[in-house]
Amino acid sequence: MCGTGFGHFRWLAEGGAGQDVGRSCILVSIAGKNVMLDCGMHMGFNDDRRFPDFSYITQNGRLTDFLDCVIISHFHLDHCGALPYFSEMVGYDGPIYMTHPTQAICPILLEDYRKIAVDKKGEANFFTSQMIKDCMKKVVAVHLHQTVQVDDELEIKAYYAGHVLGAAMFQIKVGSESVVYTGDYNMTPDRHLGAAWIDKCRPNLLITESTYATTIRDSKRCRERDFLKKVHETVERGGKVLIPVFALGRAQELCILLETFWERMNLKVPIYFSTGLTEKANHYYKLFIPWTNQKIRKTFVQRNMFEFKHIKAFDRAFADNPGPMVVFATPGMLHAGQSLQIFRKWAGNEKNMVIMPGYCVQGTVGHKILSGQRKLEMEGRQVLEVKMQVEYMSFSAHADAKGIMQLVGQAEPESVLLVHGEAKKMEFLKQKIEQELRVSCYMPANGETVTLPTSLSIPVGISLGLLKQEMAQGLLPEAKKPRLLHGTLIMKDSNFRLVSSEQALKELGLAEHQLRFTCRVHLHDTRKEQETALRVYSHLKSILKDHCVQHLPDGSVTVESILIQAAAPSEDPGTKVLLVSWTYQDEELGSFLTSLLKKGLPQALS
Amino acid sequence: MDLECSRLLPALCAVLVDPRQPVADDTCLEKLLDWFKTVTEGESSLLLLQEHPCLVELLSHVLKLQDLSPGVLSFSLRVAGIFAAQENCFQYLQVGSLLFSQPGGAPGLRLLSAPPFFLSSPAPCPGAVDTIFSLQGDSSLFVASAASQLLVHILALSMRGGAKEQPCLQGDDWPTCAQKIMGHVEESLCSTVTPKVTQALNILTTTFGRCQSPWTEALWVRLSASVACLLERDPIPAAHSLVDLLLCVARSPVFGSSNGSLWEMVAQALSCLGPAHVGPLALGILKLEHCPQALRTQAFQVLLQPLACVLKATVQAPGPLGLLDGMADDAMMVDALLASKSSCAGLLCRTLAHLEELQPLPQRPSPWPQAPLLGAAVTVLRLCDGSATPVSSVGGHLCATLAGCVRVQRAALDFLGMLSQGTSPQELVTQALAVLLECLKSPGSSPTVLKKAFQATLRWLLSSPKTSSCSDLGPHIPQFLRELFLVLQKRLCSPCWEVRDSALEFLTQLSRHWGGEADFRCALLASEVPELAWQLLQDPESYVRASAVTATGQLSSWGLHDPTSPQHAVARQSLLRELLRILSADSEGFPRRAVMQVFTEWLRDGHADVTRDTEQFVATVLQVASRDLDWEVRVQGLELALVFLGQTLGPPHTHCPYAVALPEAAPARPLTEALRALCHVGLFDFAFRALFDCDRPVAQKSCDLLLFLRDKIASYNSLREASPNTDSVEAAPWRWRAHEQTQPQEDQEPEAVLAMLRSLDLEGLQSTLAESSDHVEKSPQSLLQDMLATGGFLQGDEADCY
Repeated sequence: MCGTGFGHFRWLAEGGAGQDVGRSCILVSIAGKNVMLDCGMHMGFNDDRRFPDFSYITQNGRLTDFLDCVIISHFHLDHCGALPYFSEMVGYDGPIYMTHPTQAICPILLEDYRKIAVDKKGEANFFTSQMIKDCMKKVVAVHLHQTVQVDDELEIKAYYAGHVLGAAMFQIKVGSESVVYTGDYNMTPDRHLGAAWIDKCRPNLLITESTYATTIRDSKRCRERDFLKKVHETVERGGKVLIPVFALGRAQELCILLETFWERMNLKVPIYFSTGLTEKANHYYKLFIPWTNQKIRKTFVQRNMFEFKHIKAFDRAFADNPGPMVVFATPGMLHAGQSLQIFRKWAGNEKNMVIMPGYCVQGTVGHKILSGQRKLEMEGRQVLEVKMQVEYMSFSAHADAKGIMQLVGQAEPESVLLVHGEAKKMEFLKQKIEQELRVSCYMPANGETVTLPTSLSIPVGISLGLLKQEMAQGLLPEAKKPRLLHGTLIMKDSNFRLVSSEQALKELGLAEHQLRFTCRVHLHDTRKEQETALRVYSHLKSILKDHCVQHLPDGSVTVESILIQAAAPSEDPGTKVLLVSWTYQDEELGSFLTSLLKKGLPQALS
Repeated sequence: MDLECSRLLPALCAVLVDPRQPVADDTCLEKLLDWFKTVTEGESSLLLLQEHPCLVELLSHVLKLQDLSPGVLSFSLRVAGIFAAQENCFQYLQVGSLLFSQPGGAPGLRLLSAPPFFLSSPAPCPGAVDTIFSLQGDSSLFVASAASQLLVHILALSMRGGAKEQPCLQGDDWPTCAQKIMGHVEESLCSTVTPKVTQALNILTTTFGRCQSPWTEALWVRLSASVACLLERDPIPAAHSLVDLLLCVARSPVFGSSNGSLWEMVAQALSCLGPAHVGPLALGILKLEHCPQALRTQAFQVLLQPLACVLKATVQAPGPLGLLDGMADDAMMVDALLASKSSCAGLLCRTLAHLEELQPLPQRPSPWPQAPLLGAAVTVLRLCDGSATPVSSVGGHLCATLAGCVRVQRAALDFLGMLSQGTSPQELVTQALAVLLECLKSPGSSPTVLKKAFQATLRWLLSSPKTSSCSDLGPHIPQFLRELFLVLQKRLCSPCWEVRDSALEFLTQLSRHWGGEADFRCALLASEVPELAWQLLQDPESYVRASAVTATGQLSSWGLHDPTSPQHAVARQSLLRELLRILSADSEGFPRRAVMQVFTEWLRDGHADVTRDTEQFVATVLQVASRDLDWEVRVQGLELALVFLGQTLGPPHTHCPYAVALPEAAPARPLTEALRALCHVGLFDFAFRALFDCDRPVAQKSCDLLLFLRDKIASYNSLREASPNTDSVEAAPWRWRAHEQTQPQEDQEPEAVLAMLRSLDLEGLQSTLAESSDHVEKSPQSLLQDMLATGGFLQGDEADCY
């Protein structure tokens, strides 16, 4: 089994501060099946580099022939942004698996990003709306814990991952080999989602993100309190708050936060949502209520958390209204559109505030203000002086070091592969996992292949006839206690089955052959052959009380199918030779008798 | 390099060599490298280095640092590579000493890829090449691939130096470096370790692909025996790479078509490679322009084998024409078909895809066995849906293996669709349509299969020959359409949105082409399809609503409502109302965009409901569109406005230099009247507002529209009579910019509008809007500022985009 990241595993530059919004794209080959895990894009590039370099897999022939399926863990663009490009432009025509919420929400974010791409001129080689739709039509949506048969040999199963609505971890199984891919996950519940969970599926390999590989994160509650305090203070002093967001995801989480706070504090300051996508986004959150956390599900009957009383649709004329207000506007990195337009209007007033709830790539106004630049060059050589307050608040929901260890403990994999992290921190976590959990751990760089040998186990079916025979012997099966079962192993139609030898002969159309083993045992005995045979008979009769020992008229002795005859070799009258022969069915008894006779006959009988 | 960047560069270099200073974003170094490439292309690299000693310091400093990040190190080596591509810079930097002092890594290797003079420098070659050999097996795909590319590059460079005039066939007098590489390749080809063979084959493939000098022929002469030996082994190692190499050599113009030994080897490969690899080889051969006919025949037989086997296993004798009749089956291929479900499906999918690729090519084999291939595609589909009758044990096995196999179904439907481009006997056309109908009817068909079945059906229907008889379409089509619409009715009610959507897309396409055909109209109107399409305007899935809008819009364009219904006109009217409702009330963008497209088409084609009161129609639509939050709806609104402008003032000028200039058609009506109409529908209001839209494409489209309008008006003499500007008029457009103008102005005077139009610097605006929205932020200066500003700002543990 091997895994290759041919996009960027989201790994960070050494030194701890490099940040990346890279492309997640992992190729896993397991027992001859090739599965692509996630198909993300990099928002920091405007050219071909924004998509993973698929040439490393297209060189293996046609994509649809090479890949058995694509699995998307969640709707964030660094996990699904290259999907329409991959399926409609590179030419993958096979199945794409994701959860129902991811399937519903993906196109919204892809459309959102397409608009940004159109805004930036010269963006050739970008997918169209029709391509997004055609791509989504290739999606097979899956339910949590539902085992989906991709083909006769390959099956997948989704587990709840927290992180964002519809995020899932996937187990990929071929025969007895399996891999679990976590995607991004969160092991602690937050305001609207629950914690990730997986059963003890003991995969050969667990591929886990390790964004916060060494960190024990502070409580998200603290960050939330901080956020509310800042918003409140600003509107109290009559300022305006701008929160640039992407249409879906963080926006809804922050809306719940503000809505609840406004309700509790009985605030009247207007909150607006500018994207025009509010209804649609909230529609999906309402639709997929079972995917949210317990609290939201419980209170759903009395009040749906996504039906906001205080949050209204924004009209661009409102930006000039006097007085305080809070506005959620897209896009999230202040690189174009409405959020940038509002920012330009409000930037000059120190009473106002902009809160960036997520990371901004280089080449955006968001990135500039976050890095502390206060004089910004705008179009037409104008300079915009930023006097408003700039705040950055991380609301990302990834598992921290404790959470990652917890998940590894839950799943009990044979090996762990760390992706999505900074090399140095991943090294620390790797050692921790290896020492504390005694599980081998890998951390491949982008483009690196890891190959893991797995022990092959071949499933064998047992015929009913054979089981009945076994039952007839009166031995009832006992759980957890291995039992030895004799039968004939036959391979037919690429399947292995253990059947009785009679059935095997019948099924394979073979004639039966008898196989007898013979052995000579030399005895010191001067008596005649008949007497020696009699002595043997008496000896065996006394020892083998449970067996049928017979002395036949021709002088030979039988024990079950075993035949013993005494002969006198002509050259030595003092020695007798016992000829022992048995069928292969009685091999055990035959060997026992031979070894018994080799010890000689007892003196008392001599 | 501009002054500002020159000023910032030393500080940036200082940040890069300071391990304590973080680099903002992993893309920054990549973008910086792009910038260096651009700068060195535009001016002297040596001068740059001399004027910016900080660069030389950076390059020499990074190698001394122990705890530098791999990112910065790799970046520095690549920068060194860019500069070292110039010989004078190479000497200036003394690059040779930088090489291989760092452990592994593709970026370092790139240093070598540029300078030919590097190879002429005495020291580095032997040791360097050994290092590259070992890096070919690196666990990183990127390093391994770069190492392989680099070996090819070095080989080509050294050969270019060593064998300028004549190809030296013996290879004894080849340069040392080339001999060393060739020795390594030869040794690897004989290796029993497959990855080594693969590496050697990949080097050769890249070499023959890139270099077309005569020496490559000598190279092939020297190595072909070793390559041929691979075919003797069992199993054949690195078969995939071997196929690539053979095809690459066959394509190389260096080898004439008379290269007997090559063709012999290819023929041998065709007969001994396994089914997984022989298909691509056969396809590659058939795509070659020059190749012996016997080999082409052999290759085509190889491609046809799996389908021939399928046909043989299912067709009762005496049946229709088979494929490869009289030829024995290839045992390996039959094994692959019977071995397992995935092997069988894989082989058939590949075969079908190869034949699909071959079908439209001019160099496809002739005669093309259209009928048997069609028969085979139909049979494969029948095997998948369980309706095929096996006549042998192989057939029985195939029936069991392929039943319900979606993968093969999809491939077969694609192939079947492609076959519609050829001429087929009527009987087979009927069979193809029948199997497609079965597929569309089958309750077990998956949404992806149905989509492909719809696409294939559309292709067959549209390519079906028309007869000269009284019927519009072919003789069997009317009956087929009746059955098809029954299926379509069912599919329009499917619980899967994907299926409903595909059915609507199919309906739209078919009516677009056949809306005027009597048979089609008759069959459609006899069905419930139009009514169901109408109902889907209320679908819960927005994609489906959008497709329903397009479909009903298309049907309405052809007047495809039930003509016997007394509510015919009412239905049409209510469609307009329904579409307007969707435009103003649908919560999602796709249906609203679709409505705008339908309306634009209706206006352009003079749809009856539009022409009844065009101005009212345009006024209503523009008013709704101007309030829309979706940028594409607003862009579409401007498109509709442009059509209306064209109809009011005459079409846009054509600028084709070869077109015969026709005298300007007389304007439809006097200018003042036309302008009044434009004012009346709120077009100016909409366009001026859009000109300052926060979404760039909207502003750009509006700018284009206003420019067109201004040019058009200029052609009227009356422009000169327009009243002169006044301050109040000049200030008016800026009110839209400031969004003060929230309510549309109903009673604009044409003169005022004209003056406003003239007061705008539309050309200036157009050139600004033509720039990327992030052109300021993505300038090199901005990049350098960002990288400098980041130092010290970011804290750890905030890796966070989402």
